[in-house]
Amino acid sequence: MEGRRIDLQDLLFGLFLMVVAAFTTAATWSLRVGTAANMGPGYMPRAIAVLVLAFGLFFVVRGLVAPFKGITPLQPRAVLFILLAVAAFALLVTTAGLMIASLVTIVIAGFASRETRPLETVLFGGAMAVGAVLLFVQALKLPVPVWPW
Amino acid sequence: MDLFTNLALGLATAVEPINLLYCLIGVVIGTAIGVLPGIGPIPTVALLLPFTFGLEATSAFIMLAGIFYGAQYGGSTTAILVNVPGETSAVITCLDGHKMAQNGRAGPALAIAAISSFYAGTIATVVICLLSVPLSVLALKFTAVEYFSLLVLGLLAAVILAHGSVMKALAMVLLGLLLGLIGIDVSSGAARMTFGVAELGDGIDFVPVAMGMFGLGEIMANLERPPVRQVVSQKVRDLIPSLADLRAAFPAMTRGTLIGSILGVLPGGGAALPPFTAYAVEKKVSKNKAMFGHGAIEGVAAPEAANNAGAQTSFIPLLTLGIPANALMALMIGALMMHGIQPGPQIMTEQPQLVWGVIASMWVGNLMLLVINLPLVGIWVSMLKIPYRLLFPAIALLCCIGTYGIANSVFNIWLMLGCAVIGYFFIKVGAEPAPLLLGLVLGPQLEENFRRAMMLSDGDFTVFVQRPISATLLGVAALLILVLLSPTVFRKRKEALAE
Repeated sequence: MEGRRIDLQDLLFGLFLMVVAAFTTAATWSLRVGTAANMGPGYMPRAIAVLVLAFGLFFVVRGLVAPFKGITPLQPRAVLFILLAVAAFALLVTTAGLMIASLVTIVIAGFASRETRPLETVLFGGAMAVGAVLLFVQALKLPVPVWPW
Repeated sequence: MDLFTNLALGLATAVEPINLLYCLIGVVIGTAIGVLPGIGPIPTVALLLPFTFGLEATSAFIMLAGIFYGAQYGGSTTAILVNVPGETSAVITCLDGHKMAQNGRAGPALAIAAISSFYAGTIATVVICLLSVPLSVLALKFTAVEYFSLLVLGLLAAVILAHGSVMKALAMVLLGLLLGLIGIDVSSGAARMTFGVAELGDGIDFVPVAMGMFGLGEIMANLERPPVRQVVSQKVRDLIPSLADLRAAFPAMTRGTLIGSILGVLPGGGAALPPFTAYAVEKKVSKNKAMFGHGAIEGVAAPEAANNAGAQTSFIPLLTLGIPANALMALMIGALMMHGIQPGPQIMTEQPQLVWGVIASMWVGNLMLLVINLPLVGIWVSMLKIPYRLLFPAIALLCCIGTYGIANSVFNIWLMLGCAVIGYFFIKVGAEPAPLLLGLVLGPQLEENFRRAMMLSDGDFTVFVQRPISATLLGVAALLILVLLSPTVFRKRKEALAE
């Protein structure tokens, strides 16, 4: 497509950097900056935030004038289920124990791919759960409950 | 000569039964993850870190190092037999290695790959020994001023030699530095960007960041690509290469080793860049250019030697100066700190047993790898039959357990989740996460040394160019930036990486 502009990759990355810079400045606003010879805790965050902002501006400008370049389409399925699987582990590991947390994590993660076969994943999850308990709790002495009781 | 006493100490340490055991565990795990595409040494090392707390620092480090160079061996097996690189460093081995396998010469290809790796590993061990002593002597002269300049150079160089857009990599370093600032400020005690979260007081752990961005981010990106893995079952016969093969491969091995050793030492080096360079050189100097891409044995020997040599010599800046050359070495620095060892120039004098033990263990480990890889190649190949649909949930689970295990903290799992989202975003916009990790690990040191240097000079910024060592280091850094901005060299770099 001739004449189309905007490199989405650059533009988005640039905007992200600018948000980070603004956010950092806001979060460290109350910290003392000090002078170069006697730096306060706010000196480095402020200095780096300025640099990040500069990079952000650079990418935004470059993205706007560059020829068109899109980003590959998002695959919400993969992202969603991987994140859900991790969240489930975080919620379950100390309450329901490693055994159940592992099984649930594997099964939820399995949904991320279209190739997954449900029965196989459940069986594999069970095996992994037992393996994880044996390896991490029994052998490596990770202090984590195995069962909810 | 001091070198020999050091080496003797190192060898004595490396052959202690307990260290031999951990070396073996390390190289076996390394080979396994090397064979499997989709899981690399970075998440593996991050995963195992928490479980090395109970070990002695030397044993832990020997094992973690074994994972790294073991992965280089394993990666080539997959490349040759399946035409899928098990590791990025094995991409180039696919070209001629897989062609050899198709021509029914899988056995010699695997053997040459293993022999080249071993040969390179042996030479690289010697190179490490020779370079370590002078470098550490130089390093002892360092004050905060020189150290700051060195860190700047290290970060810049790592960025320039990394893959992808240089400007993006620089921005990523800055983001990493910012993340490194989170936590209680050491000199004033003020909480910075902790948002009242108690867990952030000690700063952000790099393991959740690494796992989120490298482990989980990779999974999400991999799932988006159409599946390319086809398992080729091929009988591997005639493992022993003919004398003619060896004769053809030997000069290529030597050149590969040389290139790998040099590129490995440079910051940003490691295992990815050397094989590409070695292959390109080999193609230029070879007498039978036509064979390249159609199963030239030199095309296997040179890159394999180069990646192994590079993997090992990338430990030099870490062991002598305390500067990581790549993301994995950044993890290693974290490992040292977790064991209460402050990385830096003093490490060689204060921890000779650790440094020389690790160096000697590399040679021992290479010997083990030769034995593990050649006769047992069938076992590794059968591992390839594990489908990715089972592999990725398992990796996700291991990431969760490993992250939790560092500090038994659920907060770290949430942190990893957040990093996975950001890591996915970075992949989408074409920004490599490795420089961010370097920034995160080096950030606190950079600030500390900058602050001390400024106090020393009473706020005078010219101090960095007034001292000779510091000025030289910054001069090299400036030169690198010039090179970077010069368009012709820039294009060449792109070509070199694209080839």
